[in-house]
Amino acid sequence: MSAVLDVVLSSAFLAAVLRIATPYLLAAFGGLVAERAGISNIALEGQMLAAACMGALVAGYSGSVALGALCGVALAVLLGLLLAALRLELGADAIIAGIGLNLLASGGTAYAVYTLLDDKGGTSGLKSGSLPTVTLPGVESIPLVGDVLSGQNMITWLAFLAAPLVAWLFYRTRFGFHLRAVGETPDAAESVGIPVRRVQYTGLALSGALAGAAGVFLSMGYVSFFVRDMTAGRGFIALAAVFLGGLRPWGVFLAALGFGAAEALAVQLGTLDVPPQLVSTIPYAMTLVALALYAWRRKRRGLAGGVAASL
Amino acid sequence: MRYRRSAAFAVVATLALTACGGSGGSGENSGSTSSGKLRIKLVINGGLGDKSFFDSAHEGLKRAEKELGYELKVVELGSDRTKWEPGFEDAASADDYDILAAGTFDVTDYIGKLAPEFPDKKFWVFDAPVDYSGKNGACSNKCENVYSVTFKQNEGGYLAGFLAEKLVAGKALKGTESLKKVGVMGGVKIPVIDDFIVGFKAGFKQAGGKNSDVVVQYVGGDKPFGDPAKGKEISTAMYGQGAALVWPVAGLSGLGTFESAVTAKRYAFGVDSDQYQTLADPAQKDTVVTSILKNVGNALYKAAQDEKTGSLKYGAVETVGLAQDAVGYVDDAHFEELVPDKIRTELEEAADQVKSGSVTVPSAF
Repeated sequence: MSAVLDVVLSSAFLAAVLRIATPYLLAAFGGLVAERAGISNIALEGQMLAAACMGALVAGYSGSVALGALCGVALAVLLGLLLAALRLELGADAIIAGIGLNLLASGGTAYAVYTLLDDKGGTSGLKSGSLPTVTLPGVESIPLVGDVLSGQNMITWLAFLAAPLVAWLFYRTRFGFHLRAVGETPDAAESVGIPVRRVQYTGLALSGALAGAAGVFLSMGYVSFFVRDMTAGRGFIALAAVFLGGLRPWGVFLAALGFGAAEALAVQLGTLDVPPQLVSTIPYAMTLVALALYAWRRKRRGLAGGVAASL
Repeated sequence: MRYRRSAAFAVVATLALTACGGSGGSGENSGSTSSGKLRIKLVINGGLGDKSFFDSAHEGLKRAEKELGYELKVVELGSDRTKWEPGFEDAASADDYDILAAGTFDVTDYIGKLAPEFPDKKFWVFDAPVDYSGKNGACSNKCENVYSVTFKQNEGGYLAGFLAEKLVAGKALKGTESLKKVGVMGGVKIPVIDDFIVGFKAGFKQAGGKNSDVVVQYVGGDKPFGDPAKGKEISTAMYGQGAALVWPVAGLSGLGTFESAVTAKRYAFGVDSDQYQTLADPAQKDTVVTSILKNVGNALYKAAQDEKTGSLKYGAVETVGLAQDAVGYVDDAHFEELVPDKIRTELEEAADQVKSGSVTVPSAF
């Protein structure tokens, strides 16, 4: 047990939590923005994957990491807009359209890489580089905190900044009010003159951008190449975090961070003498426990509300 | 109305029956193409481009196509497990092949079921045997049309472990002189992967190391052989715990190991094929001491040769290892640069002992 405690309190573990949580955080905020705009973005996984692939390819061919990251995020934005268009213009079911986009991204990226590089696995044969790491001056000398924070990728910083930014956007800006109004009841929003479609398009574009940043982190921060289907279900875990977090920015932040911590724990415990099968269930078991807690809390609150109403 | 509908049904049913009859009819004149070449169909439960296992199989069969006069067709079923069983059924029931080749432990059940259904066809299973006993429902014809080849990856693991301990004990790797530990990162805990690891531990011990200095961890999760980010995270943790080198046995997830080796300024071994050759980044190349080869392609090429001469044994398992050159390690200029002469000689001696049978490497099977 003390070995476990040592692991959890080490700076290596905390740094790993930040790294692992980065794609979850960004994609979860992407899912949150779309959800609050009234269109479920199931295509987070596909947007991440497409952005990861585009980023590595463009960076590899142009030699510019920044250009690669921009193109990756732009592609994810386009996919977000496409999802919105399918839903709003053609009346498609957002879930079905999202599944379609995920399949498109999985097949499309593999096809693109194979066509360009004659490699069915990924872009590891193409040197593409990673986005720079950020070290704040002075932070490095602080014990523990310095070790945890120094050398983190710039997108990790961005992911943690995204929490207050999204909260500010939702609750302190006109666009945020409009977005939430549109998501709750589009008809009422329209009746007071809110441009419903424009708000939803903007929301889905923002959602795509956040998922795109998560994808770019995978192929240009975490590692420096793209591998077929490298998102490995992270988009769906992020989606779980959206609901686990109760559709609120700070709730989603905690949920995504929790998933990151569970996975980091699994990684660190894996080298101790614990059965690997047991260790790999940690993130999933935690999800179930958290969902059960969430449901229980809601039920209690619902009961209390019911009592209050009847009084 | 009802009559019309039943009439339509009758027409459709007749068409369907004719269609079935048609495919059955063409099945009779199977055997070979008009050109007389034997047709091999490689069915992959995953995808090409893994830089190791499947790519090696593909390369070996391509060589057989070019040099031995086979026709090769490749079917990739993708990583979605739910599509594998129907994929194999489709592949086996299509009449466009004479030999169906497939690999990994996962396919043995499918092949065991399909082989009796298509007794005129031949099946090659690499890296795991079908259940020839005919128990558990599969192989009702004792799989007498199935050739299985398995690899002594434990012997490759043995050499890796032996070399790892010699390097660590001899303080041969620059920048890791104070470290004693080494890491092995497996994809998932399955017998084939554990066979590498059991061998590694045996070799490590043989060279004078302690088992407690071997850190073992599995990638697991959604894509155990295709999640380089998680592979990098696990390797980073291993280096953090004082591993001088990490040996990934986890397909594309292992690509993450070479990245973390660069950051940690430590070392790694490659697996299955020569990963020094497939990496693009010179800094990553420098971390690869050697690659432990599991030459699936050579084994399949040899099977194709034996098939030509009629000496390939169906209905049985063939096990190949160091002695057959199906398993080995890369000894190139980079290896010579990193590994001192003395250790290289010792490694060769260890390999000879395994080849001659004077040392038996334990197995996970």
